Amino acid sequence: MLEINNLKSRIGDTEILRGLSLSVNPGEVHAIMGPNGSGKSTLAQVVAGHQDYEVTGGSVTYKGQDLLELEPEERAREGIFLGFQYPVEIPGVNNAYLLKAALNAKRKHAGLDEIDAFEFLKTAREKMATLDMDPKFLNRGVNEGFSGGEKKRNEILQMAMLEPELAILDETDSGLDIDALKAVANGVNSLRNPDRAIVLVTHYQRLLDYIEPDFVHVLSEGQIIKSGDKSLALELEEKGYDWVREAASA
Amino acid sequence: MKRCTTDELQAIVGRMPTTRDEDWKYTDLTRARDISSRWLTMGDGTPSSVLDEEIQRITESVEASWLVVANGEIRNLATVSGVTVDKLDEAPAGHHALAELNAALLKEGLRIVVEGTIDKPIGILVIDGTEDTSVSQAYIEVALANHSTASVIEYHASLGDADQYANTVVSLVVGDGATANHVRVQNRARNHVQTGRTDISVGKDANFRSAGFDLGGGLIRNDIVINISNAGADVSFDGLYLAGEGQHIDNHTRVDHRVGPAISKQEYRGILNGKCRCIWNGKAIVHEGADGTDADQANHNLLLSDKAEIDAKPELEIYTDDVKCSHGTTVGQLDETSLFYLRSRGLDREHATQILTHAFAAGIVARAPVEAAKEEITRLMEARLARMIQTDDNFSS
Repeated sequence: MLEINNLKSRIGDTEILRGLSLSVNPGEVHAIMGPNGSGKSTLAQVVAGHQDYEVTGGSVTYKGQDLLELEPEERAREGIFLGFQYPVEIPGVNNAYLLKAALNAKRKHAGLDEIDAFEFLKTAREKMATLDMDPKFLNRGVNEGFSGGEKKRNEILQMAMLEPELAILDETDSGLDIDALKAVANGVNSLRNPDRAIVLVTHYQRLLDYIEPDFVHVLSEGQIIKSGDKSLALELEEKGYDWVREAASA
Repeated sequence: MKRCTTDELQAIVGRMPTTRDEDWKYTDLTRARDISSRWLTMGDGTPSSVLDEEIQRITESVEASWLVVANGEIRNLATVSGVTVDKLDEAPAGHHALAELNAALLKEGLRIVVEGTIDKPIGILVIDGTEDTSVSQAYIEVALANHSTASVIEYHASLGDADQYANTVVSLVVGDGATANHVRVQNRARNHVQTGRTDISVGKDANFRSAGFDLGGGLIRNDIVINISNAGADVSFDGLYLAGEGQHIDNHTRVDHRVGPAISKQEYRGILNGKCRCIWNGKAIVHEGADGTDADQANHNLLLSDKAEIDAKPELEIYTDDVKCSHGTTVGQLDETSLFYLRSRGLDREHATQILTHAFAAGIVARAPVEAAKEEITRLMEARLARMIQTDDNFSS
């Protein structure tokens, strides 16, 4: 589904990704772990198409097409979803409006009619219930005045509504208390299915107690230096990132 | 009308402000002068064939008791209980050049006196539409008796491709303890010129709430002059201007705090795209002895093109100590992070831009003090924004 090959990217003059390769197949859950500054968020932003990150080498193929050729909105309509580390507050734009506009953009791309208003509300309310979100959030400005936990739940709500084929969740666990973490994990787990791939970008192992990954990758200085199964995350938690870096350079 | 000879009228036209006047340095009325001079030699042309249709559309789309001034002539006088409406044959001699022009060329003026509480808004439609070059005047006096309450919608519109210049003088007196809610909608054709001056006098413990929306027009100049000479006045007025290619919209506001305590708050927002120019000049003068004055002014601008120009100028003059005054002015582009966020949800750049500009403007609409006007304002605003953004080829990408 997603083939990243020797990807190099920089922001301004700073090279961040230095030859990153990763292969993600439908149904898989990958965790990308690494210390601050290792390039985790850059990877997420490049896949979503943020213009500030210049791709200087390598390739990204998604469902057989050159992903780097697509505009951010085209990537979204093709089924890619990025859960933001810092969801953006957009005062004056109602949450329900954005959800509906996003859904309809995707439906139009797929040749479907706009979603029925009743159907939309019913689905949104159901998804909100699984995330333990008050339905009144639908009528509030997008992330406007939301707490950190509310913003992250809202990201998961968007993901649940858009039903992406490839979801990349950037530090979705950061700043969450245990209840919010469980609610978010519950939302993510309910979306796991054989057709959908999920990439979790995280600094800590904590999230992986609730969402069990099939693969764990360690990112350091813009490259994946070690890959393994979920036991790698536990080992990292115990021994720290220096241990992998030393092992990798040895 | 035409109490003067044509030569005298030409002389009055010649006395219109020029860019050498400090208050007019950004707004050149040469076009208005040229149109006026030409029209003086030609006289009134044929009314537009679609004028009646447009009057009907507007008066039916906003729930109000409508008074219509079409091509400078009063069409109908609605009868509303608690409201006395009179036609005026002349306007008082003006104390500034555009009032002088108004008084000299006025066909018919309107006087509206409100007593008691009027629930249904009073609508004043000032509309011009001719097949030929035209100049029109509107003179409107609105007086709210002490302890009365009323909502007033001023709606300015124009039709046609011919050159047109409209000049409006409005006087609004809010009596002691009275509440006036006021909305001004300007949706003139984008090749037309309008100058408008509104003088507002606010009584003791009176409330004045206002919002002005400039959603059309070629060259537009609005002057709002608010006089607070009684304690306890509570004034707030907002403005929104949308300017696209070729438009020029100038808002000059002035609040004189002569007595305190009193509050005045204003917030103007503008969205500019393409080669256009907007001016916001907000003057607040706190006179000696106006203790307890609370004056606040804000002006925020969104520039969607590097060809757009905004001149934002707050002017505070304070001659007393016990005051609270603040002002803030911002000029910025659309937030790229917000744009990317929306695009990452599948919305294209144009749609994302529309959503963000709409949100920026909607704050002013939400606060508009006359509920009945909001739907029409929103409709005009959305249509204008969509067009401004679609026709633009100069987005910073």
